[in-house]
Amino acid sequence: MAKYLKEKWFYLLLLAAALALPFIVTDRYIFQLVIMSLIFSIATLSLNLILGYTGQASLAHAGFFGIGAYGVGLMTKAGLSFWLALPLASLFSALVGFLIGLPTLRTRGSYFAIATLCFGVIILIVIGNWVEVTGGHTGLLGIPRPSIGGFEFETQTSQYYLVLAFVLLTLFVMHRLVFSLQGLSFMSIRNNEALAEAVGVNTFATKIISFMTANFFAGMAGGIYASLIGSISPSTASFHHTFNWLVFLLLGGVATLAGPILGAFAIPLLMEYLQFLQDYRLIIFGALLIIVIIYFPRGLMGGIDNLRDRIKKANQRRKAGGKNVVTASGKSHQAV
Amino acid sequence: MRRFYGVFLALVLGLLLVAAGCGSKKEEKPAAAGGDKPKEVVLGFTGPLSGPAAEYGQDCLNGLDMAVKEINAKGGFTVGNQKYTIRLEKLDDMGDPTNAVNNARRFRNQYKTPAIFNPVFNAIAPMMRINEEKGNEFIIMAYTSTPKVVQMNNKLVVAVPPPFTVYCKSFVQEFIKEGAKNAAMLVTLGAYGDEWRAAFKSEWEKAGGKIVADKPANYYTETDFSAMITACLAAKPDVMLIGGPSAPTALVIEQARSLGFKGKFILVDQAKIDFIANILKGYKLLEGTMGVAAVQSYPYKATPGFDQKYRQQYNKQVTTSETPLNYISLYALTRAMAAAGTVEDPVAIRAAFPKAFPMSGDEFPVTYLGITDNGRMIPVASVQRVKDGKLAPPTSLIWHLKTEDEFKKFVAQQPTTSTYVFIPKTVEE
Amino acid sequence: MDLFLQQIFNGIMLGSTYAVVALGLTLVFGILHIPNFAHGHLYMLGAYVSFFAMTKFGLGFWPALIISVLLLALAGVVVEFLVYRPLRDQPHINSFISAIGALMILETGVIVAWGPQAHRIPNPYPGTVEILGITMTQQRLLLIIAAIVLIVLLQLFIKKTTPGTTIEAVAQNREGAMLMGINVNRVSSLTFAISTGTAAAAATLVAPIFMISPAMGALLGMKAFVIVILGGLGSIPGAIVGGYILGLIEALGGGYLSADYKDVFAFGALLLILAFRPTGLFGREVH
Repeated sequence: MAKYLKEKWFYLLLLAAALALPFIVTDRYIFQLVIMSLIFSIATLSLNLILGYTGQASLAHAGFFGIGAYGVGLMTKAGLSFWLALPLASLFSALVGFLIGLPTLRTRGSYFAIATLCFGVIILIVIGNWVEVTGGHTGLLGIPRPSIGGFEFETQTSQYYLVLAFVLLTLFVMHRLVFSLQGLSFMSIRNNEALAEAVGVNTFATKIISFMTANFFAGMAGGIYASLIGSISPSTASFHHTFNWLVFLLLGGVATLAGPILGAFAIPLLMEYLQFLQDYRLIIFGALLIIVIIYFPRGLMGGIDNLRDRIKKANQRRKAGGKNVVTASGKSHQAV
Repeated sequence: MRRFYGVFLALVLGLLLVAAGCGSKKEEKPAAAGGDKPKEVVLGFTGPLSGPAAEYGQDCLNGLDMAVKEINAKGGFTVGNQKYTIRLEKLDDMGDPTNAVNNARRFRNQYKTPAIFNPVFNAIAPMMRINEEKGNEFIIMAYTSTPKVVQMNNKLVVAVPPPFTVYCKSFVQEFIKEGAKNAAMLVTLGAYGDEWRAAFKSEWEKAGGKIVADKPANYYTETDFSAMITACLAAKPDVMLIGGPSAPTALVIEQARSLGFKGKFILVDQAKIDFIANILKGYKLLEGTMGVAAVQSYPYKATPGFDQKYRQQYNKQVTTSETPLNYISLYALTRAMAAAGTVEDPVAIRAAFPKAFPMSGDEFPVTYLGITDNGRMIPVASVQRVKDGKLAPPTSLIWHLKTEDEFKKFVAQQPTTSTYVFIPKTVEE
Repeated sequence: MDLFLQQIFNGIMLGSTYAVVALGLTLVFGILHIPNFAHGHLYMLGAYVSFFAMTKFGLGFWPALIISVLLLALAGVVVEFLVYRPLRDQPHINSFISAIGALMILETGVIVAWGPQAHRIPNPYPGTVEILGITMTQQRLLLIIAAIVLIVLLQLFIKKTTPGTTIEAVAQNREGAMLMGINVNRVSSLTFAISTGTAAAAATLVAPIFMISPAMGALLGMKAFVIVILGGLGSIPGAIVGGYILGLIEALGGGYLSADYKDVFAFGALLLILAFRPTGLFGREVH
């Protein structure tokens, strides 16, 4: 136990801080941002599974987010409980992922990226035009909030804990998955698909599993989003969301578990902070994107790693008493 | 290379920051009026200021901005014995619902804004979920013509423009009377366009007409309309319902004429007839067209002055109706505040809205008669046709009355000589 | 029959734009492996340059076109140098992020500088022609012919000139080309210049028919990616054929089947083709 505490103290501290947050922050505006960032964390974490760990750049992610959102919206409006609707919608999203994965996962690299982009756009168009079911471009209005028994998740605090629970669930699943044998086969495909195939990994099935799991969680994030924001329109499934999550993921740190969450918090907060620039905001933000990706190719997590390495190195050096060690290590890291 | 790159980008970034700093500096200092120092009330605007709908958002914002400047130049408005000046905070939400909610929270929290303006229904809808929280209320000043906005039973919403169904009814009346039978629709895709198509189809068929083609196209992103126009024309329509943003609507008209369409156009209310004529260099291609009246031909005393002032101040060629209506909505809000005796309590302000009216066309660019029970302000809506290569005088639509008798009584009281048409009140129920 | 011919004509006209824009993109995306998602936005910038050359400086249509092509070729070189070159040794997905940054800068920059409203380039050839019962404006006819001329010229450049052949050499075998002493930096700059230059030409030819606005390039840029993949990554004939196919599908699908789902047909066509040929129509096997 003591050993466990020693290893994980940082994460436990973080969890404690997360649980205590509503008692520290009372600003509704900040809270709104936090809740949305948590929801988008789930979406980014799931994108990380297919893109970061399995190496398949799925650009249909927002489409699955949209499917989950509309699934939950339609089912809860029809009177179904949120707790039943959410898993059903997520499963449906995974199922659609399976069907879409069958043709597209046979393609590779850029072909897969653009093929999924097309599917994302098709989902968007269908949602926009299937008026009888989805309400067309006006969308679904007045989606009920989640509730347990008589308790409705009405206040921001309760919504925060609800979403936090789902983020932890997602993190748990991702952690178990990534550090399992299955996770290794995901990564073997990312690193070298032909080699993975040669050593006996069923690459197609593995990719399908990764894709479906990712889409399950994307759908789940969408479902939570729909029931909290209350009204959704086709823009919920827009590829702009996918692009946003890609930015969160790559600037946060691809193929890490903390990176997506870091990105999903840092980028929207930065965007909000930059509001004072008014018309110039997106220009500055765009320039920042370019600079950060050039100097931190592995995102913020990569930057943190580098920093940690340097501190470690510096410590060793101090202990060794030597001052003239050449510091080439920092550079070589950036070029990974 | 890397070093050079860093220096270069830092330079660019620095310059941009300086530019942004200069650009966003607050230039207005309200003229101090008399001895009482005026207090300040902050209002919020969140809307699309970038992306495809940026121009629309900017037109709306300009109207509000102009009213704010006017009011502040006069030293503010009076509530009780206190003078208030206005500061309008604007944030870009790119038409995205999540951003709109974030912005609304921000306004309410940082500035305690009693009212927030937004011109996009899909962004207004999620805002309506958070504007009635106890102790955290705010009024949504919704610039949207969809009837849905007032059907959602939100107690703190005020819709500004007339419902588009009013225009739809009057267009159908007019063209069926003229003997048109076959209509084709080529309207913009999206929530707004979908509702227009559905409403027009039902009205047109109810009146005995026939929809021969329905080919929607996304006016914001489409590169070419000729395929849809060709398909519409193949069905030999007498009239074509078209429209979305004005600029692409002008293209549709031009292309349809060049493909040999001889019939008449009906413009949905987003498309502005004079703006289109400006692009098409005159009204020749628009012969017979009917649409929402051009601001320059509104039959009100105060309009020409407003029109001229706006075009000068904001360097515009044409005033579109978003601007005067938003302009008036800000005045209506201040009048409601005065009537409520508070600038802080949204519930009281909303309750006092009926007392803000009537707002006469002698003073404002459009006459507003009142506000409906479910929260829509009641402007006199105007429509207009193109005849003999120029704009014909507009027709005023009266849509808030229930019966023909009430309408006749109303018209008898009106001083102006303009033509009135009765649209029964049922349009939004 | 007239209707059908008219729709075919509409489709070819639409396809001409697509083909030229996709052609430029396939050079960058297929040969340099840079997912330049800002391609559509550079196309938009090309239209704006022509617009200002014609309205502010009073130039004619053709001089404006040439200036626009030259300036945008320069812009392409700059964008490659600043936005993509520092990322050359990183995973492609990183270039995607900087592409998003670049397109934000371009679109917002245009809005800040010239406002969000749409503009119109005066139409130099507004007359209409009637052939075989179909109506076409001269400008549309010009666009179709100019697209063909542009495609042929570009093909000649790549096949017959020394700088052109270096591009092809890099396309076929990057390492081999480097070993032969080809300067990859120079090839990158050249490829970008050609890519954005042709986009500017397409934008200027199209602008008198449509409006120009800051958002005009976003969807077109995305469709160009679809075409490049549909034709096969890096394949020039693939981009051309793909462009015309997409134009025809949109015109016929939108005209005859359903206008709401027009883009579903276009994007669905790609998926259908990929289901049978995972590397596109003319694509080579990925390695």
